[in-house]
Amino acid sequence: MNAFLAPNDYKSPLKPIWCPGCGDYGVLQALYRALSAVGRPPHEIAFISGIGCSSRIPGYTTSYGFNTLHGRALPIAQGVKLANPDLLVIVAGGDGDGFSIGGGHVPHVIRRNVDLTYLVMDNQVYGLTKGQLSPTSPRGLKTVTSPMGSLEQPINPLLTVLAYGAGFVAQATPADMPGMTALIEEAIRYPGFSFVNIQSPCITFGEEDQQLKAHKARMKPLASLGHDPANQLAALDLARAYGTELYTGVFYRNPSPPPTYDALVRQRQVELQKGEPRSRSRVLDGYLKA
Amino acid sequence: MTPVTGIDFERITLRDALDLAVLIEEEARDRYEEFADQLAAHDTPEVADFFSRMARIEERHRTELLERRRTLFGSAPSAVDRRALFDVEAPGYEAAHAFMGVRQALETVLAAEVKAHTFFSEALPRVKDPELKVLFQELREEEVHHQALVKAELARCSEKPDDSEAYADDPNAQ
Repeated sequence: MNAFLAPNDYKSPLKPIWCPGCGDYGVLQALYRALSAVGRPPHEIAFISGIGCSSRIPGYTTSYGFNTLHGRALPIAQGVKLANPDLLVIVAGGDGDGFSIGGGHVPHVIRRNVDLTYLVMDNQVYGLTKGQLSPTSPRGLKTVTSPMGSLEQPINPLLTVLAYGAGFVAQATPADMPGMTALIEEAIRYPGFSFVNIQSPCITFGEEDQQLKAHKARMKPLASLGHDPANQLAALDLARAYGTELYTGVFYRNPSPPPTYDALVRQRQVELQKGEPRSRSRVLDGYLKA
Repeated sequence: MTPVTGIDFERITLRDALDLAVLIEEEARDRYEEFADQLAAHDTPEVADFFSRMARIEERHRTELLERRRTLFGSAPSAVDRRALFDVEAPGYEAAHAFMGVRQALETVLAAEVKAHTFFSEALPRVKDPELKVLFQELREEEVHHQALVKAELARCSEKPDDSEAYADDPNAQ
């Protein structure tokens, strides 16, 4: 049993340099609280991120952290988890990092069901590089790279991860701090790959109607709609409203979580140790015959 | 949306209520310190200094309440912790923005004091314990006093309401 760890025990002395008013400040605060509720000490946690404003998160915690390469947070996080399955591994990044350059890794981490929590701070723009179109930018958005408005259909992160079979899918906004904290905690506790899309607006390059004040007026908690998170088809249907409705809460939670990849790897290791010892020469024989 | 979760005001003890009050001040102190850091990092030193001053004021309130708690209950363990609080007196993160002026900072503080007053006003009808009622009434009145101080400072503020950001450049693409 660990001693009580307060939210501030997860806060590093490094001060965030996000723009004042950025949604990521609320996400970080909710994360400290969720970690305190989960109760794992910082040395049992690893934060892995890619590149972007939100990918700075590992530095702002007292846990292990690895601010990796753009779009490569998920493969590195999978490696960390498999190397040390006892670590609680949390991946943090933005919509560009996760669904553009890193998009190819999403289906594979989901189909393997590695026990990771993936927090995407979806601000619908590339904020760090000063406001270019990102994969979740709404059609028609005017940015420095789309002065006449975007011609592209945005990626729907919720529908994407649900379609690939993620076992836990939720959406939050820093406009509802208690709700977001509870969702992050639930995602961390879910035994398997969990995904939280956090609508974290960019105060500098984001649209006025996408800021937290607007979220407060627009957000609709799924629980208040009577949604059953065990109903995958209903979750898919609700997820289609991404970009028009701001639903918050758990879209889908698999009521019978399948074994995680890390658990299966452990099981395989045990089986191999129990069974007939496999000498290196037997493996090599296979190649020689060929 | 309640800013305090998991606390039953009908059953809360005086000790827990004092601990809650201490934590409310602590949360506000931490938020103003964060705002001061944010504004200092974004070349707005005057507003950063103002938020630092607010952090010191909240810390003074916290220390006073903590002294009372220690006098009455010594070092008995607390049953409430920061996870129960969500921006009771602390302004929301969305309240800060780059190049904000002192007037906007004062308005942010005033809104936070009004929010804290509302919190105690809404909690009071649920409080049954007479001693606790007195404490909550006192804390609520404190918020009225703080509001008056901020309003007076706002009246003295020479900055015009629409001055902020007038001098800020638009963000440029790389």
